[in-house]
Amino acid sequence: MVDINFYYLEDATISNLNRIFNSADIPFIRLSKFLNESPDIIEPELNFEEKIGYYNRKIGNALLDNFWKSSDFRVFLSKATGLKPKFRKSNHISYSPGDYSLLHMDESETNRLLVVYDLTKEWKHEWGGYDLYTSPDKDPLVCNRDFGSLMIVKLNSGDLSCTRYVSLKAQYSANIDCITYDL
Amino acid sequence: MRKAEKISVVKEFPYPHVVVKDFLDESTLDLVIDALAGLEYDFKESDLFSYWASVELTDIDHPAINILRDDLGDEIWRKKVAEAFSSKPLSSIDMAAYVYGLGDFLLPHDDQVEERIIAYSLHLTPEITEEMGGSLQIFDIEENNSSQLVDSVIPEYNSLIMFEVSKHSWHQVGEILQDIQRLTVTGWYHG
Repeated sequence: MVDINFYYLEDATISNLNRIFNSADIPFIRLSKFLNESPDIIEPELNFEEKIGYYNRKIGNALLDNFWKSSDFRVFLSKATGLKPKFRKSNHISYSPGDYSLLHMDESETNRLLVVYDLTKEWKHEWGGYDLYTSPDKDPLVCNRDFGSLMIVKLNSGDLSCTRYVSLKAQYSANIDCITYDL
Repeated sequence: MRKAEKISVVKEFPYPHVVVKDFLDESTLDLVIDALAGLEYDFKESDLFSYWASVELTDIDHPAINILRDDLGDEIWRKKVAEAFSSKPLSSIDMAAYVYGLGDFLLPHDDQVEERIIAYSLHLTPEITEEMGGSLQIFDIEENNSSQLVDSVIPEYNSLIMFEVSKHSWHQVGEILQDIQRLTVTGWYHG
């Protein structure tokens, strides 16, 4: 089992995270080196998933599936956001060169908390593969790949998310655990 | 002036499409490229695409653009296009110029917007090869929305590709992989 970096469990830090999260235009926090130790990256079994014009990627069980369901993480998430998220699903998603997802893929979504844990190593910005969040009348939020970072974003009905097309020049895949909590 | 006067046999699979080579004569081609080089292009980027686009060319009054508009959209050519595709009569065209540079792309989409009957793209990049990227890639779609790449059209200089717009007409422009400028004039014939 992995552990949350002790720094993020201190009361002062939690208080700060809560303030930052709730003051952002699109509620968001990014926590680098979120875990005490990098998890062992065992390539999970992935299946190719395509809906043309929506997404093209590989998907499987989240690498840290048990952790995302654990009470330790759910308590942390609740304190950091001030919300009461209910676990819905977790997946490991891999975007290889040429893969993408588009914003309208989740246009029927309701209010949710998205958590993305980045397992992408040695990434270059020009390869794309970053996450993009949009909300009507707000500036879009761009989250670049950063190994070991946890990103938490609150999206309302009508808000959209996607992972930018990965360049054919990318030498690796972008890999994330992506977890959805209902609000 | 238009050099091509015939449209060869339209391929029916996976949806009707055809390439017309040597579309313009040499002198018109030079004038058109000069005119397009003098336009302003805005960088456009979304989750679906990344490219540079000119303003709508339909309303620009420029001698070379006027000739191009006639060559692509005069009544004689529109009639030939409609006959080749067995479509209803084509009443008008719209057109804009697009430049794709290194890393630019256009992801899969079907072009479906009301009144668009035939899509076209006139390719204006000399000596482009498959390795440079920028091919027009044509997909066959299964019922479960998965795709199969079935044709990849290299955007050869002075070639005009046209295809019928429908729920089947899924296509994309492959990422540009070398430091080139893929220049096209693109638009639709309307019903």
